[in-house]
Amino acid sequence: MSEMLRMVNISKHFPGVKALDRVTFSVNRGEVHALVGENGAGKSTLMKILAGALQPDEGEIFLEGERVSIPNPQSAWAKGISIIYQELNLLPDLNVVQNIFLGREPRGRLGTLKYSAMVKEAESLLERVGIRVPLQALVRSLSVAEQQQVEIAKALSLNAKILVMDEPTASLSETEVERLFAIIRDLKGKGVTVIYISHRLDEVFRIADRVTVLKDGRCVGTYPIGELDREKLVRLMVGRSFSETFPPKAQETGPVILEVRNLTVPGVLKNVTFCVRAGEIVGFFGLVGSGRTDLAKALFGLYPHYSGEILVKGKRVNVVSPQKAVAEGIGFVPEDRKSEGLCLGLSVRDNCLMAVLDDVRSLMFLDRRKETAIVQRLVTDLRIKTPHFYQRVRNLSGGNQQKVVLAKWLATQPDFLIFDEPTRGIDVGAKAEIYHLMRDLARQGKGILMISSELPEILGMSDRIYVMHEGAIVKEFGQGEPVDEERVMYFAAGLHVGRWKA
Amino acid sequence: MRGLYRIYRNNPALFFVYIILCAFFVFATFASPQFRTVYNVFNLLRQAVAFGIVGIGQTVAILSGGIDLSVGSLISLVACLTSGIMIGNPTLVIPIVLFVLSIGILVGLTNGTLVAYLRVPPFIATLAMSAILQGSVLLYTKKPVGGVTRGFMFFANGQLGPVPFAFVFWVGLLALFLFLLRKTGLGLHIYAVGGNEEIARLSGIPVRRVKLAVYTLSGFLAALTGVFLASRLGIGDPLVGQGFELESITAVLIGGTSLAGGRGGIEGTIAGVLIIALVNNILNLLNVSGFWQWVVKGIVVIGVVAVYKEKE
Repeated sequence: MSEMLRMVNISKHFPGVKALDRVTFSVNRGEVHALVGENGAGKSTLMKILAGALQPDEGEIFLEGERVSIPNPQSAWAKGISIIYQELNLLPDLNVVQNIFLGREPRGRLGTLKYSAMVKEAESLLERVGIRVPLQALVRSLSVAEQQQVEIAKALSLNAKILVMDEPTASLSETEVERLFAIIRDLKGKGVTVIYISHRLDEVFRIADRVTVLKDGRCVGTYPIGELDREKLVRLMVGRSFSETFPPKAQETGPVILEVRNLTVPGVLKNVTFCVRAGEIVGFFGLVGSGRTDLAKALFGLYPHYSGEILVKGKRVNVVSPQKAVAEGIGFVPEDRKSEGLCLGLSVRDNCLMAVLDDVRSLMFLDRRKETAIVQRLVTDLRIKTPHFYQRVRNLSGGNQQKVVLAKWLATQPDFLIFDEPTRGIDVGAKAEIYHLMRDLARQGKGILMISSELPEILGMSDRIYVMHEGAIVKEFGQGEPVDEERVMYFAAGLHVGRWKA
Repeated sequence: MRGLYRIYRNNPALFFVYIILCAFFVFATFASPQFRTVYNVFNLLRQAVAFGIVGIGQTVAILSGGIDLSVGSLISLVACLTSGIMIGNPTLVIPIVLFVLSIGILVGLTNGTLVAYLRVPPFIATLAMSAILQGSVLLYTKKPVGGVTRGFMFFANGQLGPVPFAFVFWVGLLALFLFLLRKTGLGLHIYAVGGNEEIARLSGIPVRRVKLAVYTLSGFLAALTGVFLASRLGIGDPLVGQGFELESITAVLIGGTSLAGGRGGIEGTIAGVLIIALVNNILNLLNVSGFWQWVVKGIVVIGVVAVYKEKE
């Protein structure tokens, strides 16, 4: 088999993170090549570079032996490289034909569209892939699987020689996955090279010819699928040494602060039951789509139509809105602090006070002296580095922004705090500081639920660990129970269910 | 019946707005004997033309994800220039019309450049343009000015048999722009840019040129409205265009075009324009104060848009 694509020594830095570190990646013509790794391993970054959506800091790309540069997406298409992202790039209010030919419509004189020619070509394209979708239907009205098939047809209309699929099965049903695999095998038969990014290892074993493993922005290696079994693959993906320093774990824990029984949100969460005690940090691990963030949202009143019971300090509560959650003493440090945690254009002071405006009010007016006292205390306690209280949050570093989010919730004096990806996108020093703050809060008797997709963080911080898969808790690792990254990943990937077939 | 259902399923919003139009029409027919006369219906259509023309341009602007707030002042400016320069001289009619239409195009090109190349948000760019144009027209004249020729008045007031010429003209214009939006590459690209600018850009659509075209079309159509109003009134009033920007947006919204862009079309705007004309007409006939027309229009907009949101 001849080599189709070779990416050599690709490096890419983002502020504070080295996303790719001299990665070399080679793909043969007509193979299905799986690219696997944990969240943040650099899979998507590498593929965005291939697709021209990002530029590498260094490194070279060879296509069929020739050195190429890919400055933008159009240039990637021209070279026969198409990528289908997880969030599909279709216009929902245009129909299938219009989407397939968008930007490249065949035109007659006066700029009129040759619509019947488009329809005819779309038909033959869809037939080539063996896809049946109504051509005149608005994309809005199609299922996710159908939309994905439209993207595949679009890629073929661009004469794609390399087709990259980023987590294509994330929102497909079992039968839709079968259908997709049939299409992929068919494409392979027609000589198209497919690069398949997935964290569902069972699928990798079913569809891939070779596998490349990335870890922490480096290439671990490329292996023919026959040389691997699932345990070995998991070990390659996660095996690493602890580099972060974590504070010591809880010695003793208090009474139960939060208890959840059979929490169900249709299509999102299934019968979730767990508890969090005062003084402990409970870690939740799951892959994308496992429902880990949805759980946090449900606890914070963002899924008002849940069923099941939520008890705070033994009292049953109806958490139907964030206001209600705050009133019950729950705080939520969300995954994306810039869009969900902070008002970036407002000052440190305003952000800190955001959740407690009612408490600092005398009659109708805000009591500035009370305000200042609160802000002063929070900034000192959390060691927020800001020149003054009126600094806009936008201008702080990631770590200090995260502290301001935390300050906002501490101002409400919560009993229970939810952290969703508490250290995403902040540098190593600030990470350690956040870890210590979390542990201090636990020691003061607060209950803490921490969601993370970083295994070292989960293992290093949690007193107990729950693993989620497809909306349900599939495993609990109790205090002191032996646990390692491979065991956690084994459950998170759903390998215990036996869905895996060789 | 099945045909009706298919229309409903393909575009519930459009179906709904035409139902409302029919309902208003039926109500008017029962409420007022004067309404039922052929004369009144054609008169109503003639009144609809001014909003109808500028509404086409506004639809195009909103479909692209923008808005054009400068049309009202532009209409006033064009109306004043047309009659102010003409002063009853028939030989000047054609040069003047060409001149003022190119002013409209120029204003549109300026708006488009501001929005597409200098990245000024459309709301701000066209609002500022509106202020500049209104100021200019008031510097030019503070009271109605000039006069047009009898022949020129045919444009807005002439008849082809029982049918107002202006209405026929509007229908022709509608057909032209329906064709533009539905059958040409530019039309499709306007929808694409309004639907998701980033996807449009990544698909190789020349987003900036599309925006430039959009505001140019809107400016041209506003100028055409100004010419129409000069012809209709016979004189150029410096405040004649006041309110057209909001009224045209109202018609577009009633017609089911999304203010976010990428969704809707001229088909809906036609109904929106006719509904507003009907409301004005019937309340006039029933001797209801003009201020009530504002109240009713406001209620219609809120009602219709709330129903659209519900349907989504």
